[in-house]
Amino acid sequence: MFILDTKIKSHKKKIMKTALVYLALSLIAIVINDVYGLFGHGVHSASMTWMFLYPLLGGAVLYLLIFLLVPDIARFVAYRMFYNIYNSGIATLSLGSFLKGIFDIAGTSSVYIAVFYAIGELFVALGLVMLLVLAVNLKKSQA
Amino acid sequence: MKNFFSKPYRWAAVFSILLMGAVAFVLLDTFAIQKALVVVEPESAMVANETAASQSDPVISDNSYEDDNIKISIETVRDDDSTIYVADIQVSDASYLKTAFANNTYGRNIKATTSEIAEAQNAIFAINGDYYGFRDGGYVLRNGVTYRNTARSAGDDDALVIDKDGNLSVVSENQTSMESLSNNWQVLSFGPGLVENGQIVVDSSSEVSQSMTSNPRTAIGQISALHYIVIVSDGRTSESAGLSLLQLAQEFQERGCTTAYNLDGGGSSTMYFNGKVVNNPTDGKSTGEREVSDIVYFGY
Repeated sequence: MFILDTKIKSHKKKIMKTALVYLALSLIAIVINDVYGLFGHGVHSASMTWMFLYPLLGGAVLYLLIFLLVPDIARFVAYRMFYNIYNSGIATLSLGSFLKGIFDIAGTSSVYIAVFYAIGELFVALGLVMLLVLAVNLKKSQA
Repeated sequence: MKNFFSKPYRWAAVFSILLMGAVAFVLLDTFAIQKALVVVEPESAMVANETAASQSDPVISDNSYEDDNIKISIETVRDDDSTIYVADIQVSDASYLKTAFANNTYGRNIKATTSEIAEAQNAIFAINGDYYGFRDGGYVLRNGVTYRNTARSAGDDDALVIDKDGNLSVVSENQTSMESLSNNWQVLSFGPGLVENGQIVVDSSSEVSQSMTSNPRTAIGQISALHYIVIVSDGRTSESAGLSLLQLAQEFQERGCTTAYNLDGGGSSTMYFNGKVVNNPTDGKSTGEREVSDIVYFGY
């Protein structure tokens, strides 16, 4: 019993750490937007202004919800797969948004931005489905 | 493979490398990799010689040029805390109002300075064009030849049309097919239109993209048949703040223009006359001419 408690604490700690890393990345995204704005001659891009929402809502908030609601899903081996795929999706969306911001401010565009968004959304969707499956299985195992 | 990626950070490391590679590729593709699509054939020597023979000896000063076909005078004025270069240009035929691509090549990221392109064409007077090669959208029709028929997104799609009589008009790319414009002499795609039918069509909140600041500007307007005003303003310096689009439009209206259109500005803004750059091009960080895709020029 004691050993199991330690494992759960360790998993919860990892989830909280991920949420905090995402929170830090959100702040970095805000700083990047502000610094880039200094050189933009007053030109702004919504894609760059709001890119911090990907790590904030998609990252910090989601992992906080996992921490509060279903922290034990981290015990499953498949959690690592969700973790990898979902985080890759958020990273791809954030960088796609950053690139679109750079291009908007420069007054240009690229057809490849759509590829970033498509891959990012696909990975996030896959990750969320895996998360749902894990959460359902956890509830079943606890029932 | 499954075991390989189940170890912490291995997936992250591999995916990060792939993602950074993709970002680097997209940045290079957008800003650096040259894609030459059409090489423009120079006019035949015979035509050039015939044209040259029709020129009379020009009278040239530091800020004026006059021969039988082309008359140019440039004045420098201070207005709105900015230095503004105003060229009054009259030609006898629309064919003296021309455009040229950097390296005589239509494509993406093919660039040269306004003065380099102008010198290659023996231009008497030139300004930067619309920098079409920095974007995938926007109509491109030059010297009577259509190069791009992709309309830009609605709301940011004013195109300048110069017909074969040399008359300027502003159209919306979304409401006007390139096919219907193909009989014109030039179509440039930047904008917005500044003056239409003698009325200012921008307001104090109008801007290129989302910018709200004063900037270096380049724009062209028409007073009457074959009579044009070209304005370039310095900007982003302590000596010259630069103009808003509304201020720029007012400059054209005050000079009697019925139509005026904003071209690429910022660091691109350059006025070239008789072998020299007239204005002080700067992007706000460094001085000197920026390389651009194309120019609008007057010459033979």
